[in-house]
Amino acid sequence: MNDFYQNKLAEDSPKHYQQRDETGEEKEFKELRSLLIGVEAHKLEEICQRIDDFKVTPEEISKALPEATVLRSQQDNLLGEAMISTVEEAIQGSIKKDINILSETIFPLIGPATRKSVSAALDEMVQSFNQALEHSLSPQSFKWRLEAKRTGKSFAEIILLRTLLYRVEQIFLIHKQSGLLLQHIVASQVSAQDPDLVSAMLTAIQDFVKDSFSVRQSDGLQSLEFGELTIWIQEGPSVLIAGIIRGNAPLDLRSVFQDAVEKIHFKANSLLRNFNGDTEPFESVKPYLEACLESQYKTEKTSNYNLLWSFVTGVGIIASIWTFFTIKEQLRWNAFLSKLKSEPGLVILESKKEQGKYFISGMRDPLGKDINSFLKENNFQPQEVITQWKPYISLEPQLITKRAYLQLKPPKTASLEVDENGVLYATGSAPQQWILDMRKQVVMISGISKYDDTKLDNFDVNQLQFYQNKIEESILFFSEGTSDLLPGEDVKLKAQSLNIQKILEIATSLNQELHIKIIGHTNSTGGEKRNMILSQSRAEKVFSYMTSDGIDSRIFKVIGVAASEQINPESLKNNNESNRRVSFKILLNDLQKSKSIN
Amino acid sequence: MLQKKICMVGAFATGKTSLVAKYVHSIFSENYQTTVGVKIDKKIVNIGGNELSLILWDLYGEDDFQKLRLSYLRGSSAYLLVVDGTRHETLEKAFSLQSKVEESIGNVPFLLVINKSDLTDEWEIEIEEMDKIIERGWTVIQTSAKTGLGVEEIFQNIAEKIMER
Repeated sequence: MNDFYQNKLAEDSPKHYQQRDETGEEKEFKELRSLLIGVEAHKLEEICQRIDDFKVTPEEISKALPEATVLRSQQDNLLGEAMISTVEEAIQGSIKKDINILSETIFPLIGPATRKSVSAALDEMVQSFNQALEHSLSPQSFKWRLEAKRTGKSFAEIILLRTLLYRVEQIFLIHKQSGLLLQHIVASQVSAQDPDLVSAMLTAIQDFVKDSFSVRQSDGLQSLEFGELTIWIQEGPSVLIAGIIRGNAPLDLRSVFQDAVEKIHFKANSLLRNFNGDTEPFESVKPYLEACLESQYKTEKTSNYNLLWSFVTGVGIIASIWTFFTIKEQLRWNAFLSKLKSEPGLVILESKKEQGKYFISGMRDPLGKDINSFLKENNFQPQEVITQWKPYISLEPQLITKRAYLQLKPPKTASLEVDENGVLYATGSAPQQWILDMRKQVVMISGISKYDDTKLDNFDVNQLQFYQNKIEESILFFSEGTSDLLPGEDVKLKAQSLNIQKILEIATSLNQELHIKIIGHTNSTGGEKRNMILSQSRAEKVFSYMTSDGIDSRIFKVIGVAASEQINPESLKNNNESNRRVSFKILLNDLQKSKSIN
Repeated sequence: MLQKKICMVGAFATGKTSLVAKYVHSIFSENYQTTVGVKIDKKIVNIGGNELSLILWDLYGEDDFQKLRLSYLRGSSAYLLVVDGTRHETLEKAFSLQSKVEESIGNVPFLLVINKSDLTDEWEIEIEEMDKIIERGWTVIQTSAKTGLGVEEIFQNIAEKIMER
C-alpha cells in the first residue's frame, strides 16, 4: 500500500475525525454517517487501527509457519540450508547441556546406519571385485595386463581406466581471490600431486588466459582438456570448483558443480568474506564436494562380456557333450574289445581307430565266433569296424569241444566236453558202433590228449538188456490140455516175434551170439508123461510161429519141462491157467571173448 | 594450517628462482615461468609454534619484452622485491615495481631482497643507498642463492610480518 493511500485512509478514519473540533455541520454529517453505515463504521475504525499499528504477532506466525515451511521446501532447499547452522548450533547446545538426551534419541539409528554403511562398503568392494573378475578373462585382459606391466600400474587400475565412461578424480575448492586451496578431495585409487600448488597453478592459468586473450574479467576459463583428462571449472563469486575428470562427462555434471558452488557460498558465506588463509573451517563443505565425485562405467562391455561368456559356455557344453559321447563310445569299444578278447578262437593282435573307423587285426580259429554276428550283438555295424583275420587252430577247450562235435558227430543222447588238460569226456549214451568209431577217431582231433567215456553208456547193450528182459518177461498162455493159445495170446506172440527179431539184430551188432530157449510148461494136473509131451508141443508151436516169421531156427532151443517149473502160486490169480504157458530164456555169448579165449 | 600467498617480483635475471630453489617444495619446472609467466612453489615456516604454509608465486622477471602480470598479484598477503646487487638498474626496477604492486593490491608487507651477496666486489649498490632505503621504512635483506645466506631469513621475516598484521 503506498503512502498516499495510507494518508488518505488516515484522514478519513473516524479516529482522525474525532480529533477535530466538532462543528454543527460536522455533527450533522456524523449523524448522517451513523445512519448510513452504522455498525460498519466501528469495524472500519478497527481495520484502520490495525493498518496503522501493522505488526505480525507470534500467534499469526505460528498459524502460517507449518504451511509456509512446506511451501518453501517445495520451491527450493534454501530454507533447509538456512536452518543448517541453527540446527547444528541447537544440537551442539543440546550435547553440551545433556549428552544423554541426544544419545538416547539417535541410539535406534546407530545400528541400521552402521549396517547400511558396512553394506555399502561391501557392495562397493564386491562390485570392484566383480569388475576385476569379469575382465580378468576377457580377450582384452591380456592387452590390459601388458599395459599394466608397461605403465607400472596395477591391473585393477587399468581395468578401471579402460572401462569407465568418465570419473571425477579430484575436486579442488579454490579461493578465487588468492588461488589458495580451501578443500581438496580425491577419488579412491587416484594419486594426486600437491593440491596446494596445483590449485595456485590453476588460478594462475585462469589469470593467464584472461590477460592474454582480452576476455571480460567476469568470464572465467570453464574447461581445460589434455588427452583423456578434462578440467571443468565452475566459478562462484568467491570460490571456484575445479574438477579433474577422466573420460567424457555429461553436461549434467556441470549442474552438479554449479549446485555445489551455490551451496558452499550459502553455507560458508561469512567464512569466505573473512577468509584469512585458514582452511580448516571449510571442512564443513566437504559433503558438497563429495557429491561432485561422480563416475560412470561402460555397461556395454559387460553385455559383450556376457556374450563371450555365453559363447564360452556354449562351447563348453558342446565340448562336454562331445567328451561325454567320446568317452561313452570309447567305453563301448573297450567293452567290445574286452568281450572279443575273451571269446575263444579269437586272438586280437592290434586294435585302433582311424578316420572315424575301427580297425581290428588278429587270428581266428575257423570254428570261432562269426565276427559280423558278434559286432551286431554288441551294437556295432559291420561297416564301422574293419577286421583282418589270419586262420589258426585254437587249443582252447571250447574250441576243441566244438571241433570234436564236428568230427565225431555224436548222437543226441551223447555229449562231449574237453577240459583244460585236453581230456575229452563223453557222457550220456551212444550206440556201440559210434563208441567204437569215436575211440578210433578221437586221437586225430587237435588238442585232445586223452579220452574218457566211462560215463558214456553203450546204447546197444542197454537195448539188448531191455529186449532180453522184455522177452523173458513175456509169457504166452495156452488152453487146458492143448497147445492152442488162449484167445488174445496171438497178439503177444506176434509182439514177441518182433522183440526177438530186434534182440537178434542188436546182438549181431554187438557181436554177441544169441540163443533163445523156448520152454513149454503145463500145470500140475494130468500125468507127467502127458504133461511132458504137452509142454513140448506148446514150445514147438511157438517155435514154428517164430521160424515161420523168418527168424533163424538155429538160435532156438525148444524144450518141454511139464510142470517142473511152476510159477509161484501166490503171485498168480489162477494157478492152473498161469502154468499152461510157454516162457523164454535168452542166452548170450560174447563172440569176441570166445574168440580171444580160443 | 594457515595458508598465505606470497609473490616474488623483480627485474629479469635477479635470481628469484635460484634463490628459493633449494628451500621450497616444488612440482613444476622453470618452463612455466617462460610460458605462463609464473612458477608456484611452497614453503612451510614455523611462526610461534604454528605452521604457516607460504604459497610462493615466482613471477617472471619484468624486462623490456614482458611486463609484470598484475593479475597474478591478486590475493597476495605479502611480496618479495628481488634485486640483483651487481646490477643497479634492478634496484630502480624494484622501486617502480613496488609502486605498481602497491597500486594493484594495496599496502601489504614486503621485503627488499638484494641477491648475489657472494659477489660484493661487483656490487653496484652503495651502502648509503641501502641506508636510504631502510630509512624509508623498508626491510632490506641481503641474500646469496649460491651460499644460501639470508634465504631462510626472508621466509621467516615475511611470515612474521604477515602474522603481525
